[in-house]
Amino acid sequence: MIDWGTIIAGLLTLAIFTFLYGDNPIYRFAESLLIGVSIGYFLVITWQNTIVSLLIKPLVSDGRIGLIIPLGLGLLMLSRFSSRLSFLSRLPIAVLIGSGAGVAIPAMLDARTLRQIDATIAPLWTDGGLAIGTIVVVLGVLTTLAYFYFSRAQTGSLGRISQIGIYFLMVFFGTTFGYTVMSRMSTFIGRMEFLLVDFLRLTQ
Amino acid sequence: MNSALSRRLAFAGLFIAVTVAMLIPSEGDVRVAPETRQLYEWIDSIPPGSQVIVSFDHEASALPEIRPLALALLRHCFERDLVPIGVSLLAEGTGIGFALMDQTADEYDKTYGEDYAFLGFKPQFIAAILSMGESIPATYPEDYLGTPIDSLPAMVGVTTYDDVVGVLSIADGSMTTHWVEYGEARFGVPIAGAVTAAMITSYDPYLASGQMVALMGGLRGAAEYEQLIGIGGGGSRGLLAQSVSHLYVLAMIIIGNLLWWRARRRKGKESV
Repeated sequence: MIDWGTIIAGLLTLAIFTFLYGDNPIYRFAESLLIGVSIGYFLVITWQNTIVSLLIKPLVSDGRIGLIIPLGLGLLMLSRFSSRLSFLSRLPIAVLIGSGAGVAIPAMLDARTLRQIDATIAPLWTDGGLAIGTIVVVLGVLTTLAYFYFSRAQTGSLGRISQIGIYFLMVFFGTTFGYTVMSRMSTFIGRMEFLLVDFLRLTQ
Repeated sequence: MNSALSRRLAFAGLFIAVTVAMLIPSEGDVRVAPETRQLYEWIDSIPPGSQVIVSFDHEASALPEIRPLALALLRHCFERDLVPIGVSLLAEGTGIGFALMDQTADEYDKTYGEDYAFLGFKPQFIAAILSMGESIPATYPEDYLGTPIDSLPAMVGVTTYDDVVGVLSIADGSMTTHWVEYGEARFGVPIAGAVTAAMITSYDPYLASGQMVALMGGLRGAAEYEQLIGIGGGGSRGLLAQSVSHLYVLAMIIIGNLLWWRARRRKGKESV
């Protein structure tokens, strides 16, 4: 039996690869198709999993009257399409920003700052001897923070310390860039695997 | 040589190098990173029958890298008779996640609804994570197929994060961070990540601080995991191609720098 899905996916992959030669109508067709299908899929999934499942069904079938409030706020958001009534959209935006900030600030402060500081404060000397890793971490944190200290000119001893911070930053950027190259190569290899194994069946 | 031609030649060279590497049969052991082993041991330590949330937090564009990671993890989960509960914080991850669960479940003769379930997508990821912490049935009254979740045997006894052993986030972006910030910090649910290679450095601090229980990344991570579970897959198949492509990039960097250095030297001589 002909696997049309694989054939279409293979041809579209080749269409996208033609961009490597240069921009062309075949590439633009495949790109437009991807965008259209993605948006269509997103709308269907959102309608089914959110509007129907969390709003219409509970409101109509279960009689949860309280859901009229988020429904009303959601409808007010549509007032942005009218220049005369657009001020009404400020209310749901205010609710979103207020609740969003209220939820995010304590969570981020805890997870990104306090817990990370806690993990940095570790014994420099353990039963196994000098904890080299911990020393490097402490040195990296302090010198990098010194680099981002802008209330004083980066000269003298502060300049020398922040210079070490730059090296730590460079190591981080280099590692991240290396991993990003690895990731992009993996994506390419994954598609090549699909083309060679599933589409062209040149290898197992 | 003009820049457009040299760019095309560079791409053609990479294309040929990867194709040849993929056509050559290669077998060999991979040195398993401690982080990958940590994830394997974490899943291996979960008692059979336990429910674990598998969150497909990625888009279709990351599929070539995500697929081998997800398949290796799901195979291990099903082999250990765990009960994966699939969710998705990104709409595009929904169909992909369901298809991957379906494929691996078939390999292990697992039945939908009894041995695994897929709850689908919820928008506003922060609200979804927090809402699941309060009540999973209220967040997902129905599964992806429209079945009420209280009628699924796989969901019996699952009300909040307290009733699952943890969350396994398969992600191509920052979604795992949100699981850490809202799921782990607020509700104390253990978070493990299987992410694209580009995201590994973003999550390393969370692993080092203990905010994540385990982390695995990229095609190499998938190859390592495939070796641990003893089932080959996309990770192992692509490893030689990845090494060849990395060597190719290194060679291009060296050649590019040499050409640039020679051009600069010539320019210097002409100006004298």
